[in-house]
Amino acid sequence: MHQKDLAIEINDVPGSNGALIINFRGELSSLCISRISGTFDTIDYSTIKFVIADMSNVTLVSSAALGEFMGGRKRLVESGGDLVFASLQIDLRSKLNMMGANKIFRFYNDTRSAVNAFRWEYEKHHEHLHLSFPPFLKLVPPIRSLVSRVAKQKGYSNRDSFRIETIIDEVCNNAIEHGLEGANKSIDLKMTINPAQVEFTVTSVSDPEKMQALKAMIKSDEHDLSKLRSDEKRGRGLALIKMLSNELTVDCNESGTSVHVKKLREE
Amino acid sequence: MNIEFPYKIALSFPGDLEYIPSIRKFISEVLQVSNFSTKFAYRSEIIVDEISNNAVNYGCRDENASVNLECLIYEDHIEFDIRDQGGSKEHIDRLHSAIKAEPEDTISNKGLGIEIVRMLSESMDINIDDQNLTSVHIIRKREES
Repeated sequence: MHQKDLAIEINDVPGSNGALIINFRGELSSLCISRISGTFDTIDYSTIKFVIADMSNVTLVSSAALGEFMGGRKRLVESGGDLVFASLQIDLRSKLNMMGANKIFRFYNDTRSAVNAFRWEYEKHHEHLHLSFPPFLKLVPPIRSLVSRVAKQKGYSNRDSFRIETIIDEVCNNAIEHGLEGANKSIDLKMTINPAQVEFTVTSVSDPEKMQALKAMIKSDEHDLSKLRSDEKRGRGLALIKMLSNELTVDCNESGTSVHVKKLREE
Repeated sequence: MNIEFPYKIALSFPGDLEYIPSIRKFISEVLQVSNFSTKFAYRSEIIVDEISNNAVNYGCRDENASVNLECLIYEDHIEFDIRDQGGSKEHIDRLHSAIKAEPEDTISNKGLGIEIVRMLSESMDINIDDQNLTSVHIIRKREES
């Protein structure tokens, strides 16, 4: 009877070869474990690395059915993949948590988030964040926190996130210090992040009166903290960025200044 | 350099729910450093959360879709403008009816988010252009503490 209620449909993820979405509908009772295992048997594990179980229309998952999911996940993990749950109803998610399933499976709020996780982890998809803000020093702490939170959310360690935050703080403070003042002027921050590295480009309109000082600072060969004298007040920021990052380029011309920083993920 | 009003912050982020907690916290912190109260910042954070969730859930269909959020900050009020690529006709019709409906009509499971935004804002408008790009504009006045 329960078995009749169950419907299983396998769909490709548009634009991706290595992922599948399996839509389950109905009650996953102990009577239907053969259908679940049969579904996992049809998967080509040499090409499919990531399976998203869409549970939006599932009202019950028995422990026997959960065992079948664990079997399916094991086969995927052995070939370097994963099986995740998406769109679980709140009460069902609570029950699975009580069964400890959240220690084995990852849960996503919707299939879109699960697909994004696949693209991020397996296709090394780049994600972009773009921020434009006026040159006010008080805005720098919220900006550095935003970038740090995004890095942590994307799986970067606390240490990496803190280093990224420090870089952003220095670059933005420099852009404000050497740029034109006024609420109608803006500084652009472009962040590109993938599982291996994060890149930033901060562009600002330079103040002509501060251009010479800025160019002198950029041309200086002393972007090395160890070479800076203890009483030296200028150039520490760039030296710090250079020390914390893997690549630093500064392009300064009459129209504006653009600072590009690349930081590889360490942990 | 001290903050001068009005000023604008513009953000573009991937159409992914994972980004929303960081974005809402960012807006809250920006409002607090702009001398808005913690209560005002928290309530504005809720608005950002709701409109961003709607934009990602219903307005991001392509894999590379992004959401644009603009925040105009005045001394006595703030304005949010959120744009996405536009959802299906069904979703856009539902958004239209939720915004136009009387408050008591929208208190259902699906219209609750819009109703919370309406309660917390001075005004809320929706624009859909020829290419189906959807933008929601919200004005919220500074509250006396």
